[in-house]
Amino acid sequence: MEKKIGVYICTDCEIGSSLDIDKLTKVAIKQKASVVKTHPSLCQKEGVEFIKRDMAQEGVNAVIIAACSSRVNYDVFNLGIPLVERVNLREGVVWTHTPNDEDTQMMAEDYIRMGILKMQKMEAPEPYKVENLSKNVLVVGGGLAGITAANEAAKAGYDVFLIEKNDSLGGWMTKIYKQAPTKPPYTDMEEPFINNLIKEIQQNPKIKIYTSSLIEKIEGSPGIYDVTVKQNGNLETFRAGAIVEAAGTVPYDATKIIHLGFGKYPNVVTNYMMEDMTLKGTIVRPSDGKPVKSVAFIQCAGQRDENHLPYCSATCCVESLKQAKYIRLQDPDSKAYIFYRDMRTPGHYEYFYKSMQNDAGVFLTKGDVIGITEDENKNLAIEVENTLLGEKIRVNADLVVLATGMVPVTALGEEILPPGVKPGDEFIPYVMIETDILNLVYRQGGEVPVLVNGYPDSNFICFPYETRRTGIYAAGSVRAPMDISSTIIDATGAALKAIQCIELTARGEALHPRVGDISYVDIFMQKCTQCKRCTEECPFGAINEDEKANPLYNPTRCRRCAICMGACPERIMSFKNYSVDMIGNMVKNIEVPEEEEEKPRAIVFVCENDAYPALDMAGLHRLSYNPFIRVVPLRCIGSMNLVWVADALSKGIDGILLLGCQYGEDYQCHMATGSHLAKIRLSKVAETLDRLKLESGRVQMTQVSISEYHKIPQILDEFMEKLKGFGPNPYKGF
Amino acid sequence: MADATVIKPDLDFVKGIIASGGESLKKCYQCATCSVVCNVTPDNKPFPRKEMVWAQWGLKEKFIGNPDVWLCHQCNDCTVYCPRGAKPGEVLGAIRKQSIQQYSAPGFMTRLVNNKKFVPILFLFPAVLFAIVLSAAGTFHIPGGEIVFSKFFSVHLIDPIFAAAFFFGIGVGILGITKFWRDMCQACRNDSIPSGVTTGDLKGSIIETIKEILSHNKFKDCVVSRDRYLAHFLVFYSFIALGITTALAVFYLYILKIESPYSLITPLKLIGNIGAIALFVGINLMVINRFKNAGKVGIGSYFDWLLIFIIYVIVVSGILSELTRLADIAGLAYPIYFIHLVFVFSLFLYLPYSKLAHLFYRTTAICYAKYSKRQ
Repeated sequence: MEKKIGVYICTDCEIGSSLDIDKLTKVAIKQKASVVKTHPSLCQKEGVEFIKRDMAQEGVNAVIIAACSSRVNYDVFNLGIPLVERVNLREGVVWTHTPNDEDTQMMAEDYIRMGILKMQKMEAPEPYKVENLSKNVLVVGGGLAGITAANEAAKAGYDVFLIEKNDSLGGWMTKIYKQAPTKPPYTDMEEPFINNLIKEIQQNPKIKIYTSSLIEKIEGSPGIYDVTVKQNGNLETFRAGAIVEAAGTVPYDATKIIHLGFGKYPNVVTNYMMEDMTLKGTIVRPSDGKPVKSVAFIQCAGQRDENHLPYCSATCCVESLKQAKYIRLQDPDSKAYIFYRDMRTPGHYEYFYKSMQNDAGVFLTKGDVIGITEDENKNLAIEVENTLLGEKIRVNADLVVLATGMVPVTALGEEILPPGVKPGDEFIPYVMIETDILNLVYRQGGEVPVLVNGYPDSNFICFPYETRRTGIYAAGSVRAPMDISSTIIDATGAALKAIQCIELTARGEALHPRVGDISYVDIFMQKCTQCKRCTEECPFGAINEDEKANPLYNPTRCRRCAICMGACPERIMSFKNYSVDMIGNMVKNIEVPEEEEEKPRAIVFVCENDAYPALDMAGLHRLSYNPFIRVVPLRCIGSMNLVWVADALSKGIDGILLLGCQYGEDYQCHMATGSHLAKIRLSKVAETLDRLKLESGRVQMTQVSISEYHKIPQILDEFMEKLKGFGPNPYKGF
Repeated sequence: MADATVIKPDLDFVKGIIASGGESLKKCYQCATCSVVCNVTPDNKPFPRKEMVWAQWGLKEKFIGNPDVWLCHQCNDCTVYCPRGAKPGEVLGAIRKQSIQQYSAPGFMTRLVNNKKFVPILFLFPAVLFAIVLSAAGTFHIPGGEIVFSKFFSVHLIDPIFAAAFFFGIGVGILGITKFWRDMCQACRNDSIPSGVTTGDLKGSIIETIKEILSHNKFKDCVVSRDRYLAHFLVFYSFIALGITTALAVFYLYILKIESPYSLITPLKLIGNIGAIALFVGINLMVINRFKNAGKVGIGSYFDWLLIFIIYVIVVSGILSELTRLADIAGLAYPIYFIHLVFVFSLFLYLPYSKLAHLFYRTTAICYAKYSKRQ
């Protein structure tokens, strides 16, 4: 169908009083828009009707709204057609620049021009729908997290496959005597409720439980995961839509904590062994079986320690307080010592801590345990320094309990880096630990990439509950150390994310952070050179490879970030409404004034996720910034293709600035690695600039977060100042 | 492992403190706000933070020869600012009681004095004792004629009995502070309380101590309970006035050979009556202050209230016995006088075991602190 473009310029919100609207209209007409109209207030009911009337009567099927930012009124301007483009004249132009000024006018005209060019290159995307999609949820792990996720998914109406490698369900929760308080007044220990939960899911016909089972392999992608399970030597295959990875943890190997005497002295045990002992009856000294009269708990044993686990396992303080209660209940004259580094009892556990602290027989002090010795009767002496008692002390005890931490099962394997990446490299796109949990058939490896310490987490700020594999959600203590209550919340959240994934996939829509986006990548395979850049750089492992290294794209794994589009040197990765050609065309058509006019031009490629909202917020706060820049929003700064740099500079643009999210260790990129990849690509731009005989400083990248809107004017001014130093681009006028 | 202190918590000691007014003891989490807000503590190793952790851990031996618990004047500024409701003021009060129990022999007397259960015994003992003595003397009835208390309870009986009680109390107290002083010297050598070097000037320290006590300046450092300054000042000086009165009475009786009752305008009566009024005002202020600050710092323990009660009865019965005597109401005057004597006797007898023992131990601790340059 012929595209008929209508441009609608709103004159409300100071747009009409700050710009020459007639001139804008002329620009749009010149740019071959079929219909160009103005309206005093487009976002009002009459304004929307005004556009709809044209759609019905004039056959306008591609609408450009030149008004406010695309981040506002998106619901108002939902016109029921796929081709709607917004030109940001309000936040981007009139609220941030001098009204009725020549430079402000030129900026608005450029944006109108770019909007129309974009629309001319845009095609209506059609959602990608998979055949034989499964709405079942696969839950890996039958502990508290897995059981909760299965239960919640089933309650929401979804069938669940629950895989447990042991012969019974329940995990660690079945191995404890009592559980820490979960309900008011938060001072009393509780009977573990896991057995009730196990019964509940066993009776639920929507949950199919596989015990003594392991996953042989998982092929496919969200909506169409083909899972092969091995149970007692038999293989079974079924299809699932999304995966909750709740594989849990194992205790840290206490024999590694040499200085605390585990394995050397029989009366030094771990917190896990203490539970076991209590569960079996009386707490006794392993050396002689005599009931214990005094226990010393050593917190953070092999934790928060660079030589062991660098992190806090979140539960041990409360668990040790609970175990102190075991011993105090067993013998009212007993003594329980707790040596801690910091007592960490967040939330309601504070009440439990206070109640235990109030027990006359519980002796607490901060301190560093230096060592443990044993006498001829196997009695232990614990030496502690830096105590609250103001001196180095020695305490005798019948039993020492080490509060050892938890290690996610995802960390129990060899660390492998992507091909060509060495440890210590500046950029490590992902770290995979080879375990035997999911066995994904993915080009980037069989498990989920780990973030730190072997946890298969993603950056939590931008990806709550998420891993770096679309449709796979880690939950419970395999994702981060957590207690019972947090595990339940986490598993519930993961189950809901899995369901969300299934439903969005069924509609052919993208997941977070581009929820609802129906565009997906078209690969122009004839031009592919099998360079593997796309398969290696995709942060979500969406692209597999065939044996000839041709990319095999899995649309339902794709987050539509277009990092592959930025990566591809052949420019064959395109979306219907977002392509190298489209952005290149916009860039090339920015009007560049003659050198004598002393009006420089710079393009600012802006990440839509953080930097673009920051620009909008600068507008909302009426911060004024440089009028010589032209903002081009990108889905992710990682979708920046280097050809645009050449396009722009060869047209006389003086410089290019990239505004992306923070990268590196504490990255904030919504697409995980996009901003880092952009930075790396930029480092290779020098070659292009050399060819054009231009200074490499003309192309730069700055990290900006959404809250840093107040820095925007300064960032832009400083960049423009730097460009001034290089003088005008000699390609102007070509 | 040579330099580590072996720690052996005494669970009973912890329970003892909890039972005697320090029930909030275990709530402390050692933030040291108490030591920061305390205006009375020395700067070096300040109290009460360290005392709180020692007490929590049942480290009884740490309190042997510890002057700090006695340097505390229980302003309760610590208690007000404590973020955890651990009430260090109350806890130190409970520890002081343990300290009295430890030093005032025999130790069970403090337990007796401090236990609500035994309160009837405390006062029945002197009452019965007096009844026996008076019955033996044949005066255990209300005498006729002009009211002369000596007709009922002869001064020649009172003096030996009360002198015995008084000197018993003083004697036990002196024995206690001697032991306390020795322990403080020992503790000082062990360096558990930093005290630097001694000045060697014991006399100077004593004079300084007396000056400090007479001036009551320490009470002015308190913030929350600043009002206690006046109350304690009045009670303290009225005790001195009443002490002088007693001394004058002895002088009148045995030197001048003048028997009571005396004219209201004699120096003896003037000083005595002014003292009685000051004591009445002072003790009432103490009670009022306690109720006023109860919300912030707690109402105090049984130990505190027992002493207040004894003093209150003494001053009220003393004033009433004089008034009823002057009003010539024999039926009231003699019984009230009897009660008065019972309580005065109790005050003397229980002096080293009740809260009043602080006059021995706090004085000694202040003196030792000065002597040992505890700053």
